[in-house]
Amino acid sequence: MLASALARCRAEAVTGVLRVAGNAGGLFHLRDGAVVAVDSPGSPGAETLLVGSGRVGAEDWVAALVDSVGTRSLQAALAARGIVGPAEAQALALAAVRDGAFAVAAGQVECCDVVDDVADGPPLPVAGGVDVDGLLSETARRLDAVASLAVPLSPYRDRVVPGRAAAGLTPERREIVAHATGRRNVRDLAFAVGRGLYPVTVEISRMLGEGVLEFASPVASFSFSHGDLATLRPRSEPSGAGRPG
Amino acid sequence: MDYDALVAELRQLRENVAGVTDTVIAASDGIPIISDVAKSVDPAHISALAAADLGIARQAAEVMGLGTLSQTVVFGSKGYMAVYAIGRLSLMVALGDKGLNLGRLLHESRPAIERIGSILAP
Repeated sequence: MLASALARCRAEAVTGVLRVAGNAGGLFHLRDGAVVAVDSPGSPGAETLLVGSGRVGAEDWVAALVDSVGTRSLQAALAARGIVGPAEAQALALAAVRDGAFAVAAGQVECCDVVDDVADGPPLPVAGGVDVDGLLSETARRLDAVASLAVPLSPYRDRVVPGRAAAGLTPERREIVAHATGRRNVRDLAFAVGRGLYPVTVEISRMLGEGVLEFASPVASFSFSHGDLATLRPRSEPSGAGRPG
Repeated sequence: MDYDALVAELRQLRENVAGVTDTVIAASDGIPIISDVAKSVDPAHISALAAADLGIARQAAEVMGLGTLSQTVVFGSKGYMAVYAIGRLSLMVALGDKGLNLGRLLHESRPAIERIGSILAP
């Protein structure tokens, strides 16, 4: 469904937004039928990739955002402040488009529709856009790669905890292990460490294979607790609202 | 109180909406009823803050003539706290990370709030 909707946008040289409803779902920003950015709750965007990973300080990022209000170019603002050069910004924007397409395709897609361009366009578009055919074949390649991993896993369903083999980890792996509480799925971990969904999915699969991580039990995935309240009503009457304890 | 039914609702919300990290249902006076939170989050603190947050938002809605309050959302640079009124007696909190799908949360929580309301006050 996603592939045919994108192909139609390309054929009609759409300038606007293809909205994909689902979980995670997302927005494909298009210019003349090419994809300039993808926003998805399933994949970290430029801000998380730069600030969440520690590459750029939060204050520098906000300052660049403020600068870009007048010029409408975050890339120019980042470059003018010497924070991120144009080449790195474009590489990041391209990586975010590919990762966003993977995140949307790896989840549930319920329906797609084209809406008018949202008021403010994407903060860091790919100059010239990414060709839909190339993006679709790259996304298909990634889905195949994840399906054929030695330890297959779902970015949205599978949650992980630290395993027994924890010695000699790279800083990147240590960070993943530190955030692996069992409550976080692969997508949550990607946001927590500020890296792309696809690379983190592949990395976590390898770490599962090496015993650095283990799949979390359903008990670790949720931590429900309640106070055995018999009923809600008596305590919440207005006359009792100020009663201590 | 049918806690199993509440557990099912909170579980469904976290599984169906990308970015929801923690959920709490509390009485409007800030006493937690049931929670599904990380170790670093104290349900009692969240419930108290959410009750205060919802109280202020409700007051604002009434004073400004905005009608009945349904939700209030705190936007942070690292994430969100959405607080939903469940009638006048209770509330639900959803904490989310930077990537939280707010639109989806609204879409999923509306029917969930109705169901939770009838579980709490059958």
